[in-house]
Amino acid sequence: MTVPELSGTQEAILAAYAGLIEELGSDDVSYRVIARRAGIAERTVFRNYPTRVDLLLATAAWIEATLFAREESHSIFDVPLAIREAMERYDARPELAHVVAETAMRGVSGAAPSPGRAQLERLLDAEVPALDAAQRRAVIAALSHLDSVGTWVTYRREFGMDRRDIADAAAWAAEAVLDSIRDRVTPSRDTL
Amino acid sequence: MEEPVDTATAILASAAVLLRERMFDDISYRALADEVGISERTIYRQYPTRAHLLAALSNWIEQTRFPLPPFVTVSDFRAAVHERFRAFDTLPAFAYVGARASAISPTLDTEPTYITRAIEAMLDVAAPTLNRRDRRRIAACLRYFSSAMFWARLRTGFDLDAGDICDAFDRAVDTVLAKLPDPTWAEP
Repeated sequence: MTVPELSGTQEAILAAYAGLIEELGSDDVSYRVIARRAGIAERTVFRNYPTRVDLLLATAAWIEATLFAREESHSIFDVPLAIREAMERYDARPELAHVVAETAMRGVSGAAPSPGRAQLERLLDAEVPALDAAQRRAVIAALSHLDSVGTWVTYRREFGMDRRDIADAAAWAAEAVLDSIRDRVTPSRDTL
Repeated sequence: MEEPVDTATAILASAAVLLRERMFDDISYRALADEVGISERTIYRQYPTRAHLLAALSNWIEQTRFPLPPFVTVSDFRAAVHERFRAFDTLPAFAYVGARASAISPTLDTEPTYITRAIEAMLDVAAPTLNRRDRRRIAACLRYFSSAMFWARLRTGFDLDAGDICDAFDRAVDTVLAKLPDPTWAEP
């Protein structure tokens, strides 16, 4: 996932806002309080993020790229491991996890609901290139969906699962998706 | 003055009207108050934060626009979800509200939704001897793939329409149900 280059000021704003969300929840944080926490003037916050939606989108992207960053998988079949670890990270920062989840579901306004899609496509095309278009799309869609904070939110909220159960059930579902392509791997010509 | 519905519901109905022309984020309490014809303070009393408003609006939309067809068997379940995804396609602004509301930090009711219970009941009937852990894993996965979140992710992230989303949903259901050992299925 790529995050646009941030200035030092922007990073200070996003880190301050993320910290305040964890303390106060995302609704109650004013620009004044964010500015004070970041040690800058309120108008500097407005200049960088004119609306709350701008600020929220930037903060969610920053959280995903830093606090929730995952180790890069080298095989599509390693994705369940990354999902397991991601679920544990979300569980450690529940308020931030909810903010990222909600931001991804905003519809059209610049939210990126599947940031890991390109990476999954690269891995799948390298290892299992012979899938037809519909099957390829379904595998990528299912893994993108599972490898997201929405999984953690839904499993927790709808099933009352704890950290271990969520990590296990999410990784299990990803293995189930991969079962459908396990026998379709094309041997790589340039194995390291 | 005549009040056909209670204030809380009138606010939600007006929010739904405004949702046809703007995003949820762009519906201010001020505009909402004008639309309903009440004071802004009354709205704050009903919905202290926007998260409360979002959650209530989503519940109201679910009940009035996207009622879930009842299902008992797995094939009924698939058909019910297909019908919902197609309904989402006809009213995307409403469906996004549902997807978003299901992602926020819960405000009041943290009860599992009706579809969660229905999926669990379906699995109890379809696979009565399935162990508890696998049943939960399967139920959670079916629930998550039948959600407004799945529809929203595939629509915005993959540019798919309801037909393609139903296809991706069916394939996900197939892969997950394939994990069930045959003997756990009830006799047809």
